[in-house]
Amino acid sequence: MLFAFCHWLATSRIGIIMRDSTWDFAIVEVVHLLALAIFGGAALLVNLRFLGLVFKAQTRSQVARELLPLTGGGVIVMFISGFLMMANGPVRYYYNPAFRLKMALFLVALLVHFFLQIKVANEKAIEEKSPVWLKFGAIVSVLLWLSIGLAGRAIGYV
Amino acid sequence: MQILLHLCQWIYSTHLSVAIRGSVWIFPIIETIHVLGITVLVGTISIFDLRLLGWLMKREPVSRIAAQLLPWTWGGFVVMFITGVLLTISEAEPNYYNIAFRIKLLLLLLVGLNPLIFHLTIYRRVNTWDVSDVTPIRARAAATASLLLWAGIIIAGRMIAYIH
Repeated sequence: MLFAFCHWLATSRIGIIMRDSTWDFAIVEVVHLLALAIFGGAALLVNLRFLGLVFKAQTRSQVARELLPLTGGGVIVMFISGFLMMANGPVRYYYNPAFRLKMALFLVALLVHFFLQIKVANEKAIEEKSPVWLKFGAIVSVLLWLSIGLAGRAIGYV
Repeated sequence: MQILLHLCQWIYSTHLSVAIRGSVWIFPIIETIHVLGITVLVGTISIFDLRLLGWLMKREPVSRIAAQLLPWTWGGFVVMFITGVLLTISEAEPNYYNIAFRIKLLLLLLVGLNPLIFHLTIYRRVNTWDVSDVTPIRARAAATASLLLWAGIIIAGRMIAYIH
């Protein structure tokens, strides 16, 4: 089914535009990187707050809530721009092991990170220190996003 | 700029430059670390800029946000700078002719001047506007300049590889 989708995307209008133009790809790639700076910085700070390493004067719930537009908005822009880059050669990416790894890690990171951030953002009680599961989750989230970055760069080299 | 060209040619011929260029893996690894450094650097700076613009953390004093973010911003800067120098060394001669590289250096100079001016002027009186959600116009101007310049640096940086 995924393969059929990739095949359809390759022959679609978007697929043909992304394949045939050098500059469309460059522009989309730059948008992907700009969103990465916003998303990556905000996601890191949210997880660092869960670990008690930054913004200690604000509650972790406040930090999770204040930065949700940046992590949420950032991930949406990255997903759309990433999808457009993928449309450049969907069948080729389908067989690329780095791309497959990146997508699998992305799915897990998306669930782990946003489950934690949204849950903490909705906390009402005056909190004390972060529980162990939250600290553990924050470390997992940072490591997942980091591996996604590495896998993403490897797509062009494998 | 003949002397600068000769310098770039000499750097391009050094062992370090040849070694980074010659390996399939070293360049992309340094490049990936460079991007991660930029993410931390620009990500933390953007959050500070967005606070100056009054978009987030409005109840938190500006100076406290600055103090909390600064160690991470500097950490990102050091990583970005060291890896950036290594990448530049490996492509010193082609970079000399690369218009995107020249634009990037110019923008880096400007983005360095921006906080210098900010700290010597409006930020000196931060105690008078530290807790206000609407910051002075000059602080918002500095934040806007910072966001635009960093975006320009990322765009120019990526374009280095597209222009030959």
